[in-house]
Amino acid sequence: MLRAVTGAAALLLLALEPGLAQEAMAEAPAYGDFPLIGARGAIWIAAQVHLMFAAFVLGVPMFAVVVEAIGIFGGGERYDKLAKEFTRLLVVAYSATAIWGAILVFVLATLYPRFWAYLTTIFAPSMWVYAGLFFLESFTLYLYYYGWDRWKKGLSKQVHLGLGVALNVWGTIVMFIANSWLTFMMSPPGDLAADTAPQTVRLWSAIANATWMPINIHRLIANVVFGGAVVGAYAAYRFLASRTDEERAHYDWMGYVGNLIAIGALIVLPFAGYYLGREIYEFNQQMGITMMGGFMSWLWIIQAFLIGVLFLTGNYYLWVGMGRIPGAERFMPYIKWMLLVLVIGTIVWATPHTMIANRREIAAMGGTHHPFLGVLGVMSAKNTAVNMMILTTFLSFLLYRRANKQPVVSWAKTGTMLQGAAFVLSVAIVLFYGIYGYFVTAIVRIGFSVYQVLAVLACIFFVIVLDVFMMRGASSRGAIRWGQMPARSQYALFILAVTFTWLMGLMGFARSGIRQHWHVFEVIRDTSPQAFTPALGPAATMISICVLIFFALVGFIFWLGGLAETPAASPVSARSSSEME
Amino acid sequence: MLRTNLTILFIVIGTLAVYTAVANMIPQVASEVPEATTISADVTPEELAAIGEELYAGAGDCAVCHGLGTRAPDLVGVSGTTCATRRDGLGCKEYLYESLTEPGVFVIDGFQPIMPDMRRILSEAEIWALVAFLQNQGGEITVTAADIPPESAGGGAAAAAGTGGASGPGIDTAVTDPVELLRASTCLACHQLGEEGVALGPRLDEMAGRLDPEYIRRSILLPNADTAGGFEAVAGTMPMIFGDQLSAGQLETIVRFLAGER
Repeated sequence: MLRAVTGAAALLLLALEPGLAQEAMAEAPAYGDFPLIGARGAIWIAAQVHLMFAAFVLGVPMFAVVVEAIGIFGGGERYDKLAKEFTRLLVVAYSATAIWGAILVFVLATLYPRFWAYLTTIFAPSMWVYAGLFFLESFTLYLYYYGWDRWKKGLSKQVHLGLGVALNVWGTIVMFIANSWLTFMMSPPGDLAADTAPQTVRLWSAIANATWMPINIHRLIANVVFGGAVVGAYAAYRFLASRTDEERAHYDWMGYVGNLIAIGALIVLPFAGYYLGREIYEFNQQMGITMMGGFMSWLWIIQAFLIGVLFLTGNYYLWVGMGRIPGAERFMPYIKWMLLVLVIGTIVWATPHTMIANRREIAAMGGTHHPFLGVLGVMSAKNTAVNMMILTTFLSFLLYRRANKQPVVSWAKTGTMLQGAAFVLSVAIVLFYGIYGYFVTAIVRIGFSVYQVLAVLACIFFVIVLDVFMMRGASSRGAIRWGQMPARSQYALFILAVTFTWLMGLMGFARSGIRQHWHVFEVIRDTSPQAFTPALGPAATMISICVLIFFALVGFIFWLGGLAETPAASPVSARSSSEME
Repeated sequence: MLRTNLTILFIVIGTLAVYTAVANMIPQVASEVPEATTISADVTPEELAAIGEELYAGAGDCAVCHGLGTRAPDLVGVSGTTCATRRDGLGCKEYLYESLTEPGVFVIDGFQPIMPDMRRILSEAEIWALVAFLQNQGGEITVTAADIPPESAGGGAAAAAGTGGASGPGIDTAVTDPVELLRASTCLACHQLGEEGVALGPRLDEMAGRLDPEYIRRSILLPNADTAGGFEAVAGTMPMIFGDQLSAGQLETIVRFLAGER
C-alpha cells in the first residue's frame, strides 16, 4: 500500500504545472542516456512492464465483480470465494503497477526531459485528475478486498458489490486518461504544428484525438483477455501445487473460468482491432499503410502465428478437459477434424501476402507472389481462415458444455438440428464470400469481411440462446470430475498466458512503432540517436525480456498468494459440480 | 514442487525463445530516420528534381499512396503533363505547390481527401524540390532557387531526404559498348542476355526483330507503360531511373543493340 501511495505521489510531483513545465522545457537537455541498454531500451521496458501490470489490475476487477454478482444472485458461496481470490491477486499486483508507473515517470523525466515537459504542459490538468483517481482507486480496492468478509450479508454485501463496480469505474477512467496521452502522440489534433506553443493547445482537443476511443475500447477488451489468461496461469500454478483433491478441484475450476474468459473475450477483440485500424487509416493513410503494408507488414504474420497458438492451445485445454466429463466420449471422434481446421486456418492466416525476396528468388518463384501459396496470402483467404477458426473454437466450447448433459425438452432434437443448420449456414456464408472475394475488386472484397463476421456472430448468438433454453432442466450423464486433469493441461494454461502477454507486447510495438521517428506524429520529431524503429527481430527480443520480467514478478505474486492462504476446505467438491459448469 | 517449478520455468522460457526465434528468422526491415540533406541557395532545377525524386520515395512517403492506383492518382510520368490544366488560374508550379501544402483545396474526382499537408513532414525547400520532380514527370521544370525562401535553403534547413530513391549520378560516359552498358546499368540483374543475368523479366536477346526501337526506348524510360505478356506477375518492379542514369547516346546504343540494329 505504501508503495502504491509513493507511486501516486511521484506522479503528482512530476505532473508539473504548465508554467514550470514551460521553463523546464526551454532549459532541459533534449535527451538523457541510460547505461547499457540506452534511453529507448529503458523506457521500452518501463512502459511495457507497467502496461502489463496495469492491464492485469484493470482486467481482473471486471470479471471479479461479475463473479461476485453471480454469487450474490443465485450462484452461491463458491463464486464469492472465487471472486475474492481474484481480488487477492490484485492487491500485490496493484503495488507492482504503481512501482512501474513511477519508474516510467522517472525514466521519462530524466531521459526525455524536453518531451516530457512538452507533454506535461499540455496534459497537466488531466495528470492531476489521474493522480486523484489513482488514490481513489487504490483505497476502493483496499476497501473492496479487506471488507470482503465484514460486508458479507444483506445490504452490506450489495454495498460491497457497489465498491467493486466503483473500482472498475475509477480504473477505467484512469486508463482512458493515460490512453489520451499516448494516443495524442499517435494522432495529434490536425491543427497542431511543430511551432505550436504547447500551452495554447486545448486540453480536450488533445485528449479526444482520432485514436483515443478506439484504443480505449480495444484495451478494455484486451485487459479482460489478459486478466483471464493470467488468472488461468495462477490457477494452473495452484493446481500443480495442490496437496488435496479439494484444492485441485477448486483450482481446476478456476483455471477453466480464466480460460473461458480469456478465449471468450479474445473472439470479440478482432472487431475492436478493425475499428482501431480503420480510425488509423482515417487519421492518416500513410500511417495505416506503414502499419499494414510497410516495414511492419511481417508483424502481422507473427501475430497470425501467435493467435494460431492461442486458438490451438485454448482448444487443446478444452479437449483435454473433456476427459473428466462423463458423456464427452461421444464427441471425441470430432476432435481430430476440429484440429485439422485449426491447423489449416493457422497456416493460411500466417501465409505472407508478398514475399520479401531478392531478384533471383523472385525469378525462381515466377513472380513477387508464390504461384500457389500466394493465393492464400490475400485477405479473402485470411478472413475465411480466421472465421472458420472462431467457429471451430465455439463448437469446441459447445461440445464441452453439452458433454454431460441430456436435454429433456420435447423439441431437443429439432433444436439440435437447428443449431447444426446454423453452423452449416454460417460456414457456407463464410466460404462463399471467401471464394467470391477473389473475383471482385479490393474495395468490394473489404466489405465482404463484414458479412463473414456477421454470419459468425449471428451463429454464435443463435446457438447459445437456443442452447440455454434447450438445456433447462437437462439431466446429467454424470458430474464433472473437477481436479482430475492431467498436468499437461495446466501447462497449456501457462503457454496461453505467456502468448497473450507476448502478443500484447507485439501489438504495443506496432501501435508505438507506426509513429516511426516522431515523438508526436508529424509534429515533434525524435532527434535522439535511437529514433529509428527497429526491425522485428530486435523488437521481439525486447518484448521477450519484458515478458520475462513480468512473469518473474507475477511468479513472486503467485507465490505470495499461496503463502497468504492457509490450506482450507475448498468450496468446490472434487466429486460433484454439475452446477459449476 | 521443485520439478514442477522447473517445468513451468522451462515452458515460459521455451515459449519466449520460440517466439523470439521466429521473429528473428523472418526478413528484418527497420524504419530508418531519413538522412539530412542540404539544398543550397544556388541549386539548379535539375538538382532540385533529383532531390525531389529521393523525397518522393523516401521522407515524403509519397509512393505509399501514389502509384497504387486506388488511393491517390498516379504521378510518375504524368504529373508534369496535367498540372497546368487542373485548376483555372493556377499554373503548373502553383498548382503542385498548393496540392502539397493545402491538399484539401482541390481533390481530383474519384479520390478521397486523404492527402496530408506536406509542410508537416518536409521543409519549404524540400516541398519545392518535390514540385520540381513532379514537373519533371513529362513537363518542364520551372521551379528555381528563387522560389525557395532563404531561411529554408542551405545546410541549416531541417531538410531530410529518405533512404529510398534510386536516381544515381549516371553511368560513366566513356562506356559505349552496349553489353557493358547493360551490365553497368544493372539490367542483367533482372534480364538475361545469353547465359548472363537473371530471368526475371523478358530476355534481352529475344527482342531483336520482334520489337521496334520506339517500343524498346519507351519500355526503358517508362517501364510501367506496358507489360510484356507472361510477365504480369513482376509488373511494376522495373525502376524508372534509366532516363536519368544513361546519356542520350548511351540510351540509343542500348536501344539499337536490343532492336538488332548492330
